[in-house]
Amino acid sequence: MAAQRQASSASQTPHISPAELSYLYTSLGLPGSPIRPDGRSATQFRPLTAETDILPGTNGSARVGFADGTQAIVGVKAEVEKTVVSADALKLPQQTQEEYAGNDDSEGNQGSSSGHGSWVQMSIEIPGFRDDDALPVFLSEMMREPLVESVSNEGSGNGEMAGGLKGRLVINKRWHWRLYIDVLLLSQPQSYPLPLLSLTTHLALLSTKLPKLKSQGEEDPFFDDDWDAAEYLYPRSTTTAFPTCSQKVRPPVTLLVVSVGENIIFDPDREEIAVADTVLAISITRDSDSDNLKLVSIRTIDPPSRLTQPGVPNSENVTTLGSTAAAEAVVLNPSTGEDEVPGVWRPRRGGVKRSTVARMVKLVLEKGGVGEEVLEGLESVQVG
Amino acid sequence: MKSLRRDSSSDPHTANVTSKIFVRSTKSGKVQKIVRELYLRQDIPCSSKLCSTCPSVAPADANGNIAPFVLSEHPAGTTAFPRGHYLVPDTNALLNGMDLFEHTGAFYDVIVLQTVLEELKNQSLPLYNRLLALIKTDEKRFYLFFNEFRMETHVRRGQNESINDRNDRAVRAVATWYTEHLRAAAKKGKKEKTVPAIVVITDDKDSLRKAKEENVTALSLTDYVSGLEDSDRLLDMINESREQREVKGARGEMFYPEYYTMSKIMTGLRAGTLHQGIFNVSPYNYLEGSVNVAAFDKPLIILGRDNSNRAISGDAVVIEVLPKDQWKSPSTKIVDEEAVTKNDNPEAEDNEAVVPERERKALQEEVRKAHGKSTEGRPQPTAKVVGVIKRNWRQYVGHVDSGSTGSQASSGRRQQNVFVLPMDKRVPKIRVRTRQASELLGQRILVTIDAWDRDSRYPTGHFIRSLGELETKGAETEALLLEYDVQYKPFPKAVLDCLPAEGHDWRVPASKEDIGWKGRRDLRDLLICSIDPPGCQDIDDALHARPLPNGNFEVGVHIADVSHFVKPNNAMDLEASLRGTTVYLVDKRIDMLPHLLGTDLCSLKPYVERYAFSVLWEMTPNAEVVSTDFTKSVIRSREAFSYEQAQMRIDDPSKKDELTESMRTLLRFSKILRQKRMDAGALNLASPEVRIEADNDEVGDPLTDVKTKAMLATNSLVEEFMLHANITVAAKIYSTFSQTAMLRRHATPPPQNFEELISQLSKKRDMRLDVSSSRALADSLDQCVDAKNPFFNTLVRILATRCMTSAEYFCAGAHAESEFRHYGLASPIYTHFTSPIRRYADLLVHRQLASAIGYEGEDGRAIVEGVMTRNRLEDICRNINYRHRNAQHAGRASIEYYVGQALKARGEKLSANGVDGGIEEEGYVMRVFENGVVVFVPRFGIEGVVRLEDFVLKGDSALRSVEERRELVVRRESDFDNEEYTLQVSDKGHPDQGMSVELFQRVTVNVSSVKEESGRGAGKRRVRVLILGAQN
Repeated sequence: MAAQRQASSASQTPHISPAELSYLYTSLGLPGSPIRPDGRSATQFRPLTAETDILPGTNGSARVGFADGTQAIVGVKAEVEKTVVSADALKLPQQTQEEYAGNDDSEGNQGSSSGHGSWVQMSIEIPGFRDDDALPVFLSEMMREPLVESVSNEGSGNGEMAGGLKGRLVINKRWHWRLYIDVLLLSQPQSYPLPLLSLTTHLALLSTKLPKLKSQGEEDPFFDDDWDAAEYLYPRSTTTAFPTCSQKVRPPVTLLVVSVGENIIFDPDREEIAVADTVLAISITRDSDSDNLKLVSIRTIDPPSRLTQPGVPNSENVTTLGSTAAAEAVVLNPSTGEDEVPGVWRPRRGGVKRSTVARMVKLVLEKGGVGEEVLEGLESVQVG
Repeated sequence: MKSLRRDSSSDPHTANVTSKIFVRSTKSGKVQKIVRELYLRQDIPCSSKLCSTCPSVAPADANGNIAPFVLSEHPAGTTAFPRGHYLVPDTNALLNGMDLFEHTGAFYDVIVLQTVLEELKNQSLPLYNRLLALIKTDEKRFYLFFNEFRMETHVRRGQNESINDRNDRAVRAVATWYTEHLRAAAKKGKKEKTVPAIVVITDDKDSLRKAKEENVTALSLTDYVSGLEDSDRLLDMINESREQREVKGARGEMFYPEYYTMSKIMTGLRAGTLHQGIFNVSPYNYLEGSVNVAAFDKPLIILGRDNSNRAISGDAVVIEVLPKDQWKSPSTKIVDEEAVTKNDNPEAEDNEAVVPERERKALQEEVRKAHGKSTEGRPQPTAKVVGVIKRNWRQYVGHVDSGSTGSQASSGRRQQNVFVLPMDKRVPKIRVRTRQASELLGQRILVTIDAWDRDSRYPTGHFIRSLGELETKGAETEALLLEYDVQYKPFPKAVLDCLPAEGHDWRVPASKEDIGWKGRRDLRDLLICSIDPPGCQDIDDALHARPLPNGNFEVGVHIADVSHFVKPNNAMDLEASLRGTTVYLVDKRIDMLPHLLGTDLCSLKPYVERYAFSVLWEMTPNAEVVSTDFTKSVIRSREAFSYEQAQMRIDDPSKKDELTESMRTLLRFSKILRQKRMDAGALNLASPEVRIEADNDEVGDPLTDVKTKAMLATNSLVEEFMLHANITVAAKIYSTFSQTAMLRRHATPPPQNFEELISQLSKKRDMRLDVSSSRALADSLDQCVDAKNPFFNTLVRILATRCMTSAEYFCAGAHAESEFRHYGLASPIYTHFTSPIRRYADLLVHRQLASAIGYEGEDGRAIVEGVMTRNRLEDICRNINYRHRNAQHAGRASIEYYVGQALKARGEKLSANGVDGGIEEEGYVMRVFENGVVVFVPRFGIEGVVRLEDFVLKGDSALRSVEERRELVVRRESDFDNEEYTLQVSDKGHPDQGMSVELFQRVTVNVSSVKEESGRGAGKRRVRVLILGAQN
């Protein structure tokens, strides 16, 4: 029962004693320079390896592995599907019929370019979890949402995806692609798997190709049978002046950011999450116009530290009651606004300060910030 | 972040594994990426007899045998390749020159690549099948090399390389490999001198250039052929269309609208805005076609070249219905391509329009008519062709239009364009480039259509071979057989090997213990006889009847037991299933089964014992069936009668022997059966049949050979019992094989088919035709008599028959039981059982019946032999329906040709001053057009189109020659009444001296065979019908 509930939060909390938790918290919360258990800096990511196009049977695929052995594979399959005509389109059936019979050339782009979010389906498999368990369901929705909702500024031409991913899936008024993104975590989750899965999905989508459409307008779709002629789901500009940046539009990436005290730490591992004050999933993408980063979504994730066992201060401990050591000062933790005895673990209650969120976002988005670093790293992965 | 790229080059296991990736679109609209792994091997042989290494590594079958090597040790050489050469054609070379590769004079030792074969399959299925047939034959030495599976010749597609370039590279890679491989093999065998050259044949300029760079011998098809003997004739056989397209591509003047894209067509078909059907051209008007589609109960009309948009009769097309204001009534005019487009020049194309003025005029008059008054002229939906699903182009027999060869015809070997006029009037003339125009004049030739581009008014094609001079018997007969796709080549050896080894000495085993007697009843004591047309050799059926002690009669129908000799799925069976039926021409019979079986071993000849399949009934004296029995049997026919002989014997009161009595019983029963059938509503249909008795006497009037078919009582005797046997067997096999029984049905014709005939009859003769049921139709047909005109009834029956659908074979599972009905015979179920020697359907039915009665046969396999999958059976049905129809047409055409020849012979004999006087006969007007009528001449069973100039009016009765009459055409005028079906013909300014004819009218005609002396189509003979005058 408890395990079930834990699963819904950021990750299974490791069984760490309150004293260890407190130690971790203190070292991570050191003002200015946190000390992380594995010695990374606050913004440093764990090393990872990535490759794409590993599953020949899929439209696109990728594998990403962390150095700790956690690996994820993502396969993307696409299927042609008939669009269910919505109610307002049904109002003018004759007109559309005529339009179809008469001038097929005027494919009305209006309205047809807006796809539907449900056309992207994501399923996540994590060993030890059922597919209707809370964690996979929650994770998949957390990744799918920025994917379908990130719409780049419309109408700026060349390599642009009008209407974002949803729009790209529209074939014509009556047909669209349905995308199945299957995410497979190959090992027990060592930490909250969101960043890993997101990066893998990002790469898989980049390598995804759709068969080249040969029919035009409102005809039933008809495709080129040459796979080499297939086109990338995320279109690439043909003029590759900067080979690292061949795509103008890229799928969003979701990063996991935690705050401990005043510090903001990226790519937390399991222990770090266990003591975090706040856990945020921040989805970003590159803004195609300005080359700046753009925030797509922020979600707070229930911090697991809430469920940890509290430590007992000497003042309340029966065995140390009355001893001299009991005279510990109660200090106000500035980040949580609660009274704490230093060195004694108290589970976090959640809640985050506005300024902390702002700083997190800023760190991600600023020029030369973490977000840019991650995206550049991803862009350097050879795709296709 | 580190990026990984797996490097597979170092892994030894990946060298022989690769994959092929493509996109597959399924019918349901799914689009899949398909990945096929390929495991490359090194044991695929080169199949050259020169090679010493391949035989040791080539894979062996289960018996340890390797496939025999194909390519010759000493391949033919040419001047360019004196040491001999193997050919490696690419796909285009095969597309353009398949006729060459089939030619027996050259093109031996050809290596066909798997890559090429697959590409060809995608581009043209018929050519693919022809290539497969070539690979199968031994004599041409075509070897199919699986280059994609051999490690050395497998080619991986490079980045940004098009599939075409990759395939071309694969062809060159094979050539390179073969050269090295053979050289190495020869070195081993110390025969270096004899290594043949590997010659790549490609028409792709880029590939030719690359081949030069890579040191591969490559030639274009034309260059290669030019180096052969007899190159002029061979060069004509190259498909020219591609080359030409390149040449004139830039000019860009388009005569025809473009076809819709495949996806647009599919969308339209699914949405119901477009329709698919087979394009048929009217035999009277080459500009008018019709397409039957499911959505309309009447065929949609397609008028003019613009709308028919390059479709040729027989093509499966997609059409779009035109808006209502363009609907028209069907044509009332006879329009002949030869007449309208007389002066077209095949060379000049620059200023030709799709619809030249002459054609437009011919059409315009109809538009006016369409908006006319009433029922008959009511406009019908028209449509235009917007796409072609499947071209059903075949090889066409025709002759070179002499007018198109131009003046420089004699100037030697220059290549020029000529028009070939196909024998089939519904096919447009074909533009053919040839270097031998002058030689081809006056010849029957075989051509094929290669393409019909938007920028060409006529289809382009190429010459295949000459059949011989026009009018010669050999050429005309072969032309006929080719035109109707009759397989007339002698039986191959594989088929003859299936015949019993004893040959003509085969006998029914004497000992009843013999395995051949297993399951057979001994019916040798029965007094069985056969009744057939005179001179019949393939006797399918014999009959007997004998009284039983209980007062009833035993009646037996005995059918030749062909299924005993033809075992399923051997070469003979497959050949028979392809041929489907024996084709009877006037002077020739093209057998379905080899001679030995058809005319001897199976044939129920008199006085000898034969295997038979018997149907025995016990009948009451009133011909009520008490019981039925089916059995395999051994019989001995007592006598083979002709219809006349049998009739005489029955009629002769002095004959009192048992055999004659039994025939009298049969005759009596047959009359009762016939009456029953008529009461049930069977139709007495008529087709215009004449019979030719060719007894080759040179004296006397050749026309005496032409006889209308006489119907004797004995004809009907045999017919009734065969029908009865067929019906009985049909019910039996259906009860056993409810899904796969081979049956025959004649669908009830839709009433609208009769609309025109009904209105014609009611208007002209005030007669009613009730088509509500076959019974009603039979009765009302009986009422259609004209006391003064005894032939009138037959005429109506002929016309009524044409309104019906044709009967067809089908597999029981294909239709609901209620649809099994045979309309003409008024039988709820029917099949063909009684002529297995000449029809394949009967053979199948025999197997099914044997299986249904539990007959085991010699080897106990007979029960299984009757069982077939429905798919296979449906394929067979499709084929034999097609063959059956063609056989009928071929037979009719043969008679027509013979009548023409007889008229010609008569003309030559009787003509006093070089002008054939013709013969006067009675004719009946069958159809009335605006500018002519169609007359049926029962004496010869021919229908003739009579144009305005061929009406002999008072002033011009002396003019008889074709040229003289042709000049009359400008003076003639006609007054056509569409409502009353009358045509008034007169000379301009003399309306009082005219002649008026109307539908169903009896007219006196002059029939003669005339030869076009000048102008277009010179040397072509046709039967001309002149109307001399109307009879009451």
